Amino acid sequence: MFDAIRRPFGYEPVIKKEDLKKNTAKKTERAENWQSTLLRIWKLVDEHRFLLIIVLGLVFISSALALLGPYLVGHIIDHYIVPQNFSGMGTIIAWLVAVYTGYSLTMYLQNYWMVGIAQQVIYRMRTGLFEHLQRLPVSFFDKRQHGELMSRMTNDIENVSSTLNSSFIQVFSSILTLLGTAVVMVMLSPLLTVLTLVIIPLMYVSMQWITKRTGRLYKEQQQAIGDLNGYIEETISGQKIVKAFSQEPRVMEEFLVKSERMRSTGFWAWTYAGFIPKVMNFLNNASFAIVAGVGGVLALKGSVSIGVIVIFTEYARQFTRPLNDLANQFNTILSAIAGAERVFSIMGEKEEPDDQVENADKELRGQVVFDEVSFKYEGAEEDWTIRNVSFTVNVGQTAALVGATGAGKTTIMQLLARFYDANEGEIRLDGTPIASMPRETLRKQIAFVLQDPFLFEATVMENIRYGRLDATDEEVMEAAQKANAHEFIEKLPNGYDTILSGDGSMISQGQKQLLSIARALIADPVILLLDEATSSIDTVTELKIQEALERLMKGRTSFVIAHRLNTVRQADLVMVMSMGELVESGTQQQLLTRGGMYANMLADAKL
Amino acid sequence: MKTVFSYAKPYKGYIIFALLLMLLELTVELMQPFVIAKIVDDGIVAGDQERIIQLGILLMGLSVIALLSGITNSYYASHVSQSFSFDLRRVLYGRVQSFSLATFNKFPASALITRLTSDITLVQQVLFMGLRIMLRAPLLVIGSMVMAFVLNAKLAVYLVIVFPVLLLFLYVMVLKGVAHFGYVQKRLDRVNRLIQENLQAVRLIKAYLRGNYEASRFSSVAGSLKVDTVKAFRIMEVVLPVLLFGMNLSLLAVLWFGASHIQTGSAQIGELVAIVNYAMRMTGAFSMFSFIIMAFARAKASSERIEEVLLAEDSREKEEKGETQASRRGEVVFENVSFTYPGTTREVLKNISFRMKPNEKLAIMGATGSGKTSLLQLIPRFYDAVDGAVLVHGHDVKSWSLQALRKTIGVVPQQSLLFTGTISDNLSWGKEQAEQEELAHAAAKAQIHQTVERFPKGYSTRVGQKGVNLSGGQKQRLSIARALVRKPSILILDDSTSALDVKTEAALWQALDSEKATMLVVTQKIRTAKKADRILLMEEGAVSAYGTHDQLMKDSELYRQIALSQQEEEVDEYV
Repeated sequence: MFDAIRRPFGYEPVIKKEDLKKNTAKKTERAENWQSTLLRIWKLVDEHRFLLIIVLGLVFISSALALLGPYLVGHIIDHYIVPQNFSGMGTIIAWLVAVYTGYSLTMYLQNYWMVGIAQQVIYRMRTGLFEHLQRLPVSFFDKRQHGELMSRMTNDIENVSSTLNSSFIQVFSSILTLLGTAVVMVMLSPLLTVLTLVIIPLMYVSMQWITKRTGRLYKEQQQAIGDLNGYIEETISGQKIVKAFSQEPRVMEEFLVKSERMRSTGFWAWTYAGFIPKVMNFLNNASFAIVAGVGGVLALKGSVSIGVIVIFTEYARQFTRPLNDLANQFNTILSAIAGAERVFSIMGEKEEPDDQVENADKELRGQVVFDEVSFKYEGAEEDWTIRNVSFTVNVGQTAALVGATGAGKTTIMQLLARFYDANEGEIRLDGTPIASMPRETLRKQIAFVLQDPFLFEATVMENIRYGRLDATDEEVMEAAQKANAHEFIEKLPNGYDTILSGDGSMISQGQKQLLSIARALIADPVILLLDEATSSIDTVTELKIQEALERLMKGRTSFVIAHRLNTVRQADLVMVMSMGELVESGTQQQLLTRGGMYANMLADAKL
Repeated sequence: MKTVFSYAKPYKGYIIFALLLMLLELTVELMQPFVIAKIVDDGIVAGDQERIIQLGILLMGLSVIALLSGITNSYYASHVSQSFSFDLRRVLYGRVQSFSLATFNKFPASALITRLTSDITLVQQVLFMGLRIMLRAPLLVIGSMVMAFVLNAKLAVYLVIVFPVLLLFLYVMVLKGVAHFGYVQKRLDRVNRLIQENLQAVRLIKAYLRGNYEASRFSSVAGSLKVDTVKAFRIMEVVLPVLLFGMNLSLLAVLWFGASHIQTGSAQIGELVAIVNYAMRMTGAFSMFSFIIMAFARAKASSERIEEVLLAEDSREKEEKGETQASRRGEVVFENVSFTYPGTTREVLKNISFRMKPNEKLAIMGATGSGKTSLLQLIPRFYDAVDGAVLVHGHDVKSWSLQALRKTIGVVPQQSLLFTGTISDNLSWGKEQAEQEELAHAAAKAQIHQTVERFPKGYSTRVGQKGVNLSGGQKQRLSIARALVRKPSILILDDSTSALDVKTEAALWQALDSEKATMLVVTQKIRTAKKADRILLMEEGAVSAYGTHDQLMKDSELYRQIALSQQEEEVDEYV
């Protein structure tokens, strides 16, 4: 029986008793956290100060009218109905019609504007978070699950949204109603007022008991949602692999584990949150009973009138209702804070270190120097990914990076594009350290064709134009032609206006690479980085675009990762990497005569 | 909405119990004004102090009952709604998993994600509210009404005059709300999709410096979400003021006409007071109405979206029936196979026929977009051929149980995708109960074992979205190892060695040579193709040439052209 209460329906308790106790030390920290979260939301709300003042004014009026209504009704009962003297009652009724009209009108208007404010704030939060994501370093994304981040942008912000929509007005009007009702109650009967107020300390204690639990549970719940979302995103995006390996049962199992966690945290959060209105209701009812009983006795003694009791009980309800609302709002506010905290925790992530203003207008020509550069991925425990690499590539030269997989070739390119910053050493572009150059200046001059071609869910035209947004349709087509993509694009259902679906399943991997190359062609950069740009393209097609690529590379500094000797041979400089180190470099001929690693690789390949 | 809420059926008992508790609570509350009327009429007017105290204690007792039932209700309502959404999520996710790719591709991934989280949560919230307060408001209104009629029917009539108008109004508003909240969820899909794209393409966006461009794209998407949300909410915000106004007018009618009833003696003062009290309670309940209407409209919009997926027609027949035990001999036969992607018109495979004996190796070559990947996708039955038949192990793939069929096939896709988890986790996708040794063995064949061993955490290294940075070649080899773990009798390699250096690749092919499996290998490299038993050369979706290297060198102009493009270095064209 006792266990049934501790573990209702078999749910394990999510919060343990010990947790609640030892948490006192952290309490101040948590409170500060809340304060700063609320402050940040407030700052966004405050931007609409003018409208907000109007809304608050309307809330003020509607709260006053809400008090005036019952007061006038009580007046009618006491002065016209009980003495059965109905002359003049019509005037008051007419007044009441006016009061009620005003009440409905102000209520509508305040909500109308508040929804606007709230959604604007949410919009700002969302776009703010998104813009912030754009400024975060690549290393941030290495450690995150996509779906989890998506959850913060939608589920967590949604929580804030529903709270802002209603809570703001509610809280304010509740406080107003509370104060107003208290005044009227004191005027009606001080003694009965005191009796009504007895419930407040009880309310405080019970609220504390509940929110101590719900605050935590909401946080857990949002985490569980994010976690589940992350899992869903991954398995839905990778659905083909799931199917290929018939792993549906396993995926399902894992999904259920995460879903179960969401269920049990949800169960406790909702159950405890569900207590609030019930407890408040009880306290209301209890005070109602006291007022009615004591009031009845007082009425017998003639110290209060019947009308006063009737109206007082109504006011007592009106008094406790806002308290009730406040208590309820407190709960949704807690869940919103849990959401907002997760949003702001990302806002707190360090952006890509601030850009330098110096060297912003630097005209780049493209001389690249690596000076004893070492690099290690954040949080990686292994050795250096890049160790002590030095080389110089002069303006207009083509450098081919060769070496086994995992030797650090891609990392060299990523360092040059400043996706990551070197831990040691310096990378210089035309003699200027790239670390002292705004990323914008740097990347504007770089076109990077990545290993995994990515296409947006947009038209073919838009996908190619991504390389240079002001390119005309003709320029896009020209680039497509050069990349040998024009022909297959024309065959797509709507040609250049065909919308490529999310995973680009309409076109083949090789075709995606052709589009990525077209995208780089149109960007017209100073430095070109080609990371296995043609790996999925057949050699006949490759030969066809070779010319375009050569033309593209002419006069530009290029870095190429490729396994095809054809490509490598045309390079001015071959750089051989092994386990993060630059083992040797030189022209193909030099390397062959030297008889080092490169020569060995070629010899191996011949076997 | 019906389909979605049918998943609440298993909890019928709990639901009824929760509703009963709520009714009990409500009854108690409704009795209060009644008791007050008694206090006034029997106690105060009659001057009976004892009666007043008795009734006061009665009121108190009633409150305690209400509290207890309320608390218990909280447990039940929470359990039912959480379990309901748990079940719904499970069914929906299971449904998505069971889709054929053709059906799956009809829904953008982001739209499925929104449905599995946001939409289900919205429905769940409504159920929770339904069990606690949603019925409470209408019942409170009805109950108050009944009590009012019991007290004095003539007075109570004035309360109901406005009802038909208000109900009609509510109905119209719900319809409007459902439509608008449907738009809102659709907008949310778009927001989700854009975020997903941005997360997947972080490097591309940074490389092309499109952060601001993406931000402005997002602004417009988030902007329309805002506009639609505001519109939906504003429509809903009309509900409450109108309802309250209507109710308040009826209250005034009660007072106005009540006065004359009292004069004629057909109503008593206490009755009028009590009815006024009930009217005020109804007004209070009405403020809950707008909330409920909104929640209901949202839930309806969301359940329609969920049902869209649940009820999506899936062309695939019951798959569990069919061949499961047939031998894994390893033949692969294509008989006049033609294929068109569902929902498109272009034929991507035209009349393809070939026959592979067990343990044969087939190299598939051809220009980009010539249909190589599409061909491979028909073997594990990702899609069904439109014409002709694909036979695996001697049976038409359509007669196989999907599970059994796919268990015999190892697929290495073009893009190597790993899931969040350890390397061991990922490799054991190939075979659930694989021993560590089996994993290591497969990894060794895929030429990745040594690399993994060098990681400080070895096979427990985390990879995938939250994992370490692996190079393209490392990912490809892990993806190959994953397929090898299951010791497949058919191995499909879709150009999955493109990022490997020559030395590693050579070692890999050598290791694969000993593998007892029928192999289909898409490759661009003549050198790799040469080692296969046969080569299938594709052009524009059709077989352009089929035979050994030597035959093709002799017969196929296209093949010679390819060879020529790689000719210059004879054998050593790759490093």
